Formats: sequence, structure tokens, C-alpha cells
Amino acid sequence: MKSLISAVTAVAALSLLVPSGVAGQGFAQPGRPKGAGARTWRAERATLPPYSPPRLPDGRPNLQGRWGGSSSGDDIEETEQVDPTTPPWESWVSDPADGRIPYQRWAMAERKKHRAGLARGVTGETGERLFMDPQTFCMKSVPRYAQRGYELVQAPGYVVMMLNWGHFHRRIPLDDRPRPGASAQFWMGIARGRWDGDTLVVESTNFNGKMWLDSVGNFASEHVRVIERLRLVEANTLDYEVTIDDPTVFTQAWTLSYRLRRAGTGGGGGAATVNDPYAAESWEHACHEGNAHHVEGARDLGFKWFPGVTPPQR
Amino acid sequence: MNVFLHRSITAGALAALLCAPAPVRGQTAADAPAYSPPRTPFGQPDLQGIWQALNTASWDIQDHHASLGVPAGRGVVDGNDIPYQPWALEKKRQNVANRAALDPDARCLLSGVPRITYMPYPFQIVQQADKVNILHEYNHTLRHIYMNGNPHPEGPIEWWMGDSRGTWEGNTLVVDTIHVTAETWFDKAGNFHSEALHVVERLTRTGPDHMLYEVTIEDPKVFTRPWKMSMPLYRRVEQEPELLEYECYAYLIEETWPNR
Repeated sequence: MKSLISAVTAVAALSLLVPSGVAGQGFAQPGRPKGAGARTWRAERATLPPYSPPRLPDGRPNLQGRWGGSSSGDDIEETEQVDPTTPPWESWVSDPADGRIPYQRWAMAERKKHRAGLARGVTGETGERLFMDPQTFCMKSVPRYAQRGYELVQAPGYVVMMLNWGHFHRRIPLDDRPRPGASAQFWMGIARGRWDGDTLVVESTNFNGKMWLDSVGNFASEHVRVIERLRLVEANTLDYEVTIDDPTVFTQAWTLSYRLRRAGTGGGGGAATVNDPYAAESWEHACHEGNAHHVEGARDLGFKWFPGVTPPQR
Repeated sequence: MNVFLHRSITAGALAALLCAPAPVRGQTAADAPAYSPPRTPFGQPDLQGIWQALNTASWDIQDHHASLGVPAGRGVVDGNDIPYQPWALEKKRQNVANRAALDPDARCLLSGVPRITYMPYPFQIVQQADKVNILHEYNHTLRHIYMNGNPHPEGPIEWWMGDSRGTWEGNTLVVDTIHVTAETWFDKAGNFHSEALHVVERLTRTGPDHMLYEVTIEDPKVFTRPWKMSMPLYRRVEQEPELLEYECYAYLIEETWPNR
């Protein structure tokens, strides 16, 4: 059991360190159907009948349970391919309608620099190494925490999210208490929740700007405000919309649209196996503990630590 | 083999040990004035909220004087002595001599049980009908204490935080943990265990803002007999307490990145 779990973790981590030698081996297959992203989900959502969610004793919708992941975590824009192991996919960006992240000119240049320095076989690389996705070092932020799914609990005064991946957790107070000053910055930010009808709205600030939005270098700054909207649209489906608002990096606020499926009902993460009484349990995913040689590997390959971006003074 | 049954028997034996009169330094459940905690909507004693230990056990679980960066403190071990086997006492001495390099905390590794509870950071307890969750600020550690009727899974398994199964004894949450790695310590002072460690934690509310935390340690590979720790836990009574984050390994990796 131990060696199996270790091996799985090692393989998962190692896949992030695939050298650039595999680039350009003809994996691009123009015309290949794309995986379902924001466009497909929004079209499907529009066909759903009105749904009244089950409620807790306090009258709020019951969103509790284990939810599968939002996406692969690779490029959140439309892709023909990211690398040899990643199929073409629709954009997860629903607004603007073209599915493109509305970067300011300088920020787009920055993003291109990140992508050119990935050295993992992504189109447009220079072959030089710049930054590695901070998730390689077991970090998470918002909204990328949702990538592999989580369990949502509605505790008194709080919504709590508990991830298996890297044992991250979010505690979202529902009382609009004052936030720490802007100088206090966190990987996961500071979250406050409220109900807008049957929609849970979570607004997060106080980020440190050191995490990427995906594995290929899309980013926001420490000034970002992330607004998440979660709404049960059928018994086993959460509509998950995320607005990224950072006037120092983007020309406008923009929105990601995801569908989260209840674990075991066709979503990613934690398939319920009928005969396994442990299927609903979240067993330890100790990320950093087995990761020292990958950190060393990244350093030895010449990757730098991503320090966040500094928007130009205006 | 039914691991849980085996462990239950052991736990029973340990419970007898806990009830034995002893020169106990800390508070015990028996000493504590009877307190009836509120109940959760699903009828369990309500342990929820943000709690923190206020002692020096994370530096040294035994009596110790101060040194640079280490506050002096009375220990949390009942009777102060830890019953190491002779070879283990020698290893503990070596750990002390090399603690700066060897302490797993210096590498920001998960703290293990019970050390995570008395790390100097707050934690939040969130209860569900079939499990108790402990969300720690330190390294965003997350413990699930399952109370769903499943026994400990069959090993061998070596997890950093072990496999925890809970039961209620009256108003006390009793947590049985096995399947741990030998790589965690009890403190910065080199107190250690093997992968055969069996921890029984008992959490009993003694008032609106206090909880008694008792731990029984059993590890036949390292100790000559089971031994105990106990300490109070305190509710963070600030008006709007909130866990923040201590992303230990992120700070460590960033600080030590060669071309940062």
C-alpha cells in the first residue's frame, strides 16, 4: 500500500518535469474534437429546467457533499494541444465571449514570457527555462483549488471546503467580518461568503499573487479580487462561475464557467465504488513530503522561483 | 485480521491505565468539574470552534529551561519521564545533538499526531455526523477522524498524519490513530517514535472556552510501557477569530531558491 501510494505520487509529480525533448513529435491533430469547456457547459445549462435545491434547517440550499474537479488545470483558454499528454480543449473563459483572457498589453507580454519558458513541450516555447508551475511545489490558490474537487461542508457561520489534494482547506465565514489589511497577503487569500438567493457568493482578496491560474502561466496580481458563484442546478451538478477582477492586469473583469459533478456521478475525483466502504474517505495526499527531489530537479534544470508580477505604475 | 477489534482491546487496556491513580501533573478529566457541552444538531457533544494550545510542548514535551529562541516550560508528560528503551534513549540523545538538521519541522514536513495539536498555531474543529475534521493553520494540515463505522484500513500503511478513527465516550471524543510514518517527532527536542506508534487522544470540553487534551502513547518498539501527555486547549475568544495560513514549505522553498 505504501509503496503503491508513493509510486503514484512520484509519477504524478514526475509528469510535470517531462523534459522538452518530447516537443514537436507530431501530436497536434487539427480537427480533433475538443473537450467540453465553458461554451458547452453554458449551452447545456441553458436547457436545464428550473431546479429548487434541497435545503438545510436554516433554509439555505444544501450544497454539501463531495464534488468532483472543475478541469484538468491545464490552459484555461482554448487549446489545440498543451503538451503530448493533454487533448485539445474548449476555453473555460465564458466572458469575454471569445474565450480569451483580456490581458493588458504588458501583461500579455508577461504571459507569453511565462509560456515560452515552460520547457514542457508546449507550443511556442523557446527552449529556455524560466518558471515552473508553482503547483509543482504543492501550492494552490483560488480558483485553482477546485481543479481536483473537494468536500463542501456548511458548518455554523461557515462554508468549509476540504481538499484531498495536498490537504488544503478553505474556511469561508458568512458574516462579512472585516478583512485583514491589504499588506497581509496569502496564497489562498481571505474569503468572505454570502447568499444571493440560492447562490453562494464567495469573494476573496488578500492574495500574494505567487500562484498561477493554470499550468501554462496565466496569472493575476496580488491586487486580484476573485468572486465565485456556486449554485446547485440539479441534484448532482454545481454551476461554478468565477469572476477574476484585477484592473492592474486586465482590461476588464472576466469570467470562468465550470460544472462540478457530485463525486461518483460522473465527475472527476473519488468515484464511488459500491463494494468499497472506504470509497468516500479522503486518504492522505502528502504532497511536499515526497517532493524534495522534484524541487531539487527544478532548481538543477535552471527554473526560477515565480515571484509574482509587478504591474507598471500608472 | 480485524485491526480495529485488536486496537479496541488495546484501547480498553489503555483506558484502564488512564483511570489508575498516578502522580499526574496536568489536569485530568476526572479532576475537571462536570461540564455539559452544547450538542450539535446531530446530537454529538459540540467541540467546534477555533482552539489552540498555549504551552511550550512543540519545543520540548518535557520540563526544560530556555535557550536561544526556545521558551522555558513545564512539560506535558505525566511524571515527566518518557520510558525509552535503552537504545531509543541513546537515539533521542543523538537527535538532540543534531536536532537543527534532523527535526522534520525544519523541513516543513507534516507534524504527525499528536505534535500537530500543540504546534503554536490555531486549528478549527468542524464536525459532521460521520467524521470530525480538524483544520490546522500550520501547513494547512487537515485531519479527518472517521466515525463512519469503518475500522482502520488494513495495513501496512505509513501516513504522515496516520489513520484516525473516533468514538464518543460520554462527552469525550476518543481518537485512535495508527498507520503512521516513523519520520515525525513529538517535539523539537528529538523525542521520537516508530511506525508502530499507536496514539489515543481524548478531547473533553471542560468549559465554554476550554478543552482537556489527553494523549496516550504506545509504541512497543521504542518505549517500555505506554505513557501519557495532557494539556488544556483554549478557545480563541477574539471577537471574530479566523484561521490564516502558515505555508511552511512555500516559505522554505522560496527562501532557499538559489537564484531567487
